[in-house]
Amino acid sequence: MATKHHDDTTHDAPATGDGELYGILAEYDTPGELVDAARKVRDAGYAEFDCYTPFPVHGIDEAMGIKRTILPLIVFGGGFTGLIGGVFLQWWMNAYNWPWNISGKPSWSIPANVPIAFEATILFSVFASFFGMWILNKLPQVWHPFFRSDRFARVTDDAFVLGIESKDRRFDAVATRKLLQDAGAIAVEDVYLDPDPKAKAMPKWIVAFVVASTAFALIPFALVAKARNSKASQPHIHIFADMDFQPKYKADTAMDLFADGRANRGEVSGTIARGHLKADDTFYRGLENGSWTLGFPKQLEINDALMKRGQNRFNIYCSACHGFDGRGSGTIPQRVAATGGAWQARNLVEAGGATVTMPNGQLFNTISNGFNTMMGYAAQLPHADRWAIVLYVRALQRSQNASLEDVPPDQRGSIR
Amino acid sequence: MSTAAEEHPHEPGKAREAFRAITRDVSWVAEAPKPHKAWLVALGIALIMLGIGGLSIFVLVTTGIGVWGNSNTVGWAWDITNFVWWIGIGHAGTLISAVLFLTRQSWRVSINRAAEAMTIFAVMCALLFPLLHTGRPWFAWWMLPHPNDMGMWPQFRSPLMWDVFAVSTYATTSILFWYMGLVPDLATFRDRFAAKGDKLKAIIYGVLSLGWRGSARNWHRYERAYLILAGLATPLVFSVHSVVSFDFATSQLPGWHTTIFPPYFVAGAIFSGFAMVLTLMLPLRHLFNLQHIIKESHVEAMCKIMLATGMMVGLAYGTELFIAWYSGNLYEKFAFANRAFGPFWWAYFAMVSCNVLIPQAFWFKKIRQRPVIIFILCIFINIGMWFERFVIIATSLARSFLPSAWSYYTPTRWDVGLFVGTLGLFFTLFLLFFRYVPVIAMSEVKGAMPEAHAGGPKGEHK
Amino acid sequence: MSILQKTLHPDEKIKAGKIGSTLSKAGFGIAAVFLGLSIILTLMGSPTGGHESKWARFFHAYVIGWSYIFSISVAMLWIVMLHHLVRGRWLTAVRRICEAMAGAFPIIFIAGLGFIIPLLAGYKDLYYWAHPDAHNHELNHHLLHKLGWLSPNFFAVRYVIYGVGMSYLAWYFAKKSRQQDESGDPKISETLRIASAPAMILFSLLVSMVAFDILMSMAPKWYSTIYGVNFWGSACVGGFAALALIVLGIQRTGRLTRAINAEHYHDIGKWMFAFTFFWAYTAFSQFMLQWYGNMPEETHWYKYRMFGEWQWVSIAMLVGFWAFPFVFLLSRWTKRIVPALVFFSVWQLVFHWLDLYWNVMPSYQWQVAFHDGARIVAGPLTGNTAFHQVGFSPVDVTVWLGLVGVFLIGLGRNLTGNLIPTKDPTLPASLAHEVQ
Repeated sequence: MATKHHDDTTHDAPATGDGELYGILAEYDTPGELVDAARKVRDAGYAEFDCYTPFPVHGIDEAMGIKRTILPLIVFGGGFTGLIGGVFLQWWMNAYNWPWNISGKPSWSIPANVPIAFEATILFSVFASFFGMWILNKLPQVWHPFFRSDRFARVTDDAFVLGIESKDRRFDAVATRKLLQDAGAIAVEDVYLDPDPKAKAMPKWIVAFVVASTAFALIPFALVAKARNSKASQPHIHIFADMDFQPKYKADTAMDLFADGRANRGEVSGTIARGHLKADDTFYRGLENGSWTLGFPKQLEINDALMKRGQNRFNIYCSACHGFDGRGSGTIPQRVAATGGAWQARNLVEAGGATVTMPNGQLFNTISNGFNTMMGYAAQLPHADRWAIVLYVRALQRSQNASLEDVPPDQRGSIR
Repeated sequence: MSTAAEEHPHEPGKAREAFRAITRDVSWVAEAPKPHKAWLVALGIALIMLGIGGLSIFVLVTTGIGVWGNSNTVGWAWDITNFVWWIGIGHAGTLISAVLFLTRQSWRVSINRAAEAMTIFAVMCALLFPLLHTGRPWFAWWMLPHPNDMGMWPQFRSPLMWDVFAVSTYATTSILFWYMGLVPDLATFRDRFAAKGDKLKAIIYGVLSLGWRGSARNWHRYERAYLILAGLATPLVFSVHSVVSFDFATSQLPGWHTTIFPPYFVAGAIFSGFAMVLTLMLPLRHLFNLQHIIKESHVEAMCKIMLATGMMVGLAYGTELFIAWYSGNLYEKFAFANRAFGPFWWAYFAMVSCNVLIPQAFWFKKIRQRPVIIFILCIFINIGMWFERFVIIATSLARSFLPSAWSYYTPTRWDVGLFVGTLGLFFTLFLLFFRYVPVIAMSEVKGAMPEAHAGGPKGEHK
Repeated sequence: MSILQKTLHPDEKIKAGKIGSTLSKAGFGIAAVFLGLSIILTLMGSPTGGHESKWARFFHAYVIGWSYIFSISVAMLWIVMLHHLVRGRWLTAVRRICEAMAGAFPIIFIAGLGFIIPLLAGYKDLYYWAHPDAHNHELNHHLLHKLGWLSPNFFAVRYVIYGVGMSYLAWYFAKKSRQQDESGDPKISETLRIASAPAMILFSLLVSMVAFDILMSMAPKWYSTIYGVNFWGSACVGGFAALALIVLGIQRTGRLTRAINAEHYHDIGKWMFAFTFFWAYTAFSQFMLQWYGNMPEETHWYKYRMFGEWQWVSIAMLVGFWAFPFVFLLSRWTKRIVPALVFFSVWQLVFHWLDLYWNVMPSYQWQVAFHDGARIVAGPLTGNTAFHQVGFSPVDVTVWLGLVGVFLIGLGRNLTGNLIPTKDPTLPASLAHEVQ
């Protein structure tokens, strides 16, 4: 060990303009000597001291009594979070919130979910390690009182320095200095704080810079928030047009190529929609060989169900004018008469009346297309329903012009 | 390294001279008032290449993927070849940083900073390709899980999504690891510029170095974090290139679907990565007189690693051929016969000669000691690894199951232009790094020197 | 480069003395007892699932046990060669023991004749490709082209080549290492370093082919290019586990008590941990890629192991061979504290066996499925999970232990002379080795 060492006489007493003593720095020639000195300092009971070196020195941790850091635990916690998070992310998004069938594989396909879970584990471990280390080291801390020493700048180059802070319990300006010198320091230096309290304050321009850049950084978010929460009267900007503007005509727009100015060209005449051929004349139009059919279309089964249907439909659609009995005194003509009007609804059931004599097909046609002031009910009533009404009207006509002989014998007694 | 300090490690001041020499030798590159002429010329060329890339990107984004040579059959070509090539190159940096650290190969300290930087820049170049090949790169953010109007989530079971996570984790980790290693050296720069009176640079480096002061208590946690990050980066580097290989291996295409892809791709990545490290470091070492830090023995070690990983790649080629025959699968057998004798036979030939034959030169010590020859061989190795990815992608696609779908592939000028552009980006970033950032990990080099143990207890240390 | 150095303590017991022969004798005893027991159990018709040939179970277990001891020596040969290749330092203190473990190859390959000779003699119930059904065009037309490769004769020829190759490599490194004990010539280290490179290449080829031939061809219609790498990964887990136990065992006899310490245990544990992870990586790659591709010619192998009783073995492997040891071997203390290291070494040795068992034994039932009156009654392609029975038999374990005894014979024969490379230039660094 080199025994030649010289006292640094730079600061034997505080120079004018210096503040309080912050601590003492001692420089050593070799890393080994620094380690020895550190051991001596620790054995002497000092706690508020540190060594400053250009690279981590082997053996210094034990000499200084540095406890093993808890960083590995933090990293383990980070990794575990990443693992759980990665697994949960995939499960929730792909298997629970919106399950997605991809080539028949189960939504929760563990082998396929492993790679991302693995990467998430690593990523969070890395964050825990990196940020955990800086936080535990209390860095960034861009300034430290020891930077006031010029010698200290050599720490990042080639100097091995031990620094003891004055706030340590055992600190004594003389005894501490002697301890450091006896341990083989090649230089010992007192470091004083700057007396000017303003020097401790953060320079204004740094504060301004941080505030300004934070403000600027928030601008994009503010713009996004505005865009999402406001309405605009202008259409949005298309940076990449993609296929947003297509030179084609859409339905119901104007087009000046045709005289009618429409893009819609309508149906070609004679076009029949699928299922709308309606070839059967009898069923669809009540015609048989060009004249009104006398019977009913073959596809309808004349039974009680059809009769009841006919009654049901008649009561809904026809009784308002023609009355429930078909005599033409429904609520609407009653209303007309009560207000002094002259309009009447046809009596469907009077003997010898047009409705009684007309063939079924013509009756069907009237229901479908209307007559005089009666509108056609083709839009409201499907063809089969209209035929049911025809059937019911015939029943009404018979019932309203019946004689006692038409009533079944066992019910004659109930008639008055 | 023979310095005065090594001969007299216990004389006062001598050990520290060695450390000062390191600081000086590395810092002068950044402190030189005017950059070296060679650097300017190289930067100029790199910027031109970058410009070509910029134009290629502009044409691609405004017109569409049709400007490339990709077709319905060969849907992936130069784009994905380049992606895998660049990612592979990046892996050497992480290997040098992390794996060589874990295996206590202290020679890594001369090259790890530059290698890590190379990783970051390579990953940046790589990321351009998946981004641009989507055709509508402005929608790339859809790949990240976020609540959206469509109520859709990404399809996490797709290898392409695994890529997103793996490569972004890799990029993040590489940047954080690199930056962490940089902090003590940035502090060195801070102090040097402060001593010189260059206030602006001192403040910039000061902020970036977070106020690092070499405190032993800080070093303790720092070293722990470094070890942990190295331990994390090792499985990460394996997983990233494995995930990239999954892009192919999870398919059913013969020539793509094979279980050996993950370790084979990783070995190939390390192979090409080291070749790129040497391609960069050999000229720079010569121009900036860093031969005493990046020693001949380090270069030799890298050549041997290339030889080893090249042989692993060769073993994988052999295994694939054997199993293709063994499987009896008609399509599998055809796929491999097609590689060697089909329309892309020339690419296969380039691949085998550059990846299997050329590295054999590294058996010979005489070659391992000639930087010029190594430089040339490394360029061929990189070309060979490019062809390996091209052979895998294009030949398998061009001759897939249905003969009616078979086609050929030719790149267009925009394919080439974009690739040239990424080379330009890479070299530009690397040159800037070289000038402004401590290019060798000074604190690590110092810590690995014999002088770092000087003055310790007698008898135990040599 | 400044390295910590230490020399051998003058009182250190480094000579093997009698432990080699004692171990060999013990090994012989174990082998005789357990293999004898296996034969008796087989002759007695030990419950194995009603196979025509009761010996089929015995032989399948034999192949598993053989692969097990082969894999331990493989791992140890590998680390010796790697150590020379990269001028490693930490391993030197235990390297002689590794060399001794690798030196068991000749005995291992002689023991392997226990299934090779029956195969040559026409035994048809071990490897399906040796069965006449394999030539059935209707059932197996995908096998026909490789029956020239997978024929008993060519198979046996290749077996001999593997045996000669592996034995030679192990012998070469051990012999040179012992030569250095006498001459102290540092050039020997250089020679070994230069030799280790081509040796690694030969090693990789041989080990891959052993894995493909002896293990993968158990399911001749299936294939996986990563199979050899996966086998090597599993081998190294078992190898380092075995190394830890053997080193500790030797120290128990009072030898090398100072030379090998917690620092070395830590590193052995680290390699075991690293390969646990590596095995999981290759096993997962193989599984996930074949699962994802979903091609029946590949998935049948996994399907058999994912349903029925075999799924529990698969889960046990996932949790036992990887997850549990991985989590606990992360901590430095499980690797430095002897009881913990012993626990995990034994654990991994058992699970390494289970890995090989899981690879091979399903083929035993496959054969039954395919051969039962030449009809496919049940088996992987029918999806009949009721047939995916493990059908565990005591013969599985007794054969395994018997072959471990064979390994101990081989190991014991090599534990002679110096148990540590006394004049290796890297020994002082290895003795002073400190893990970060």
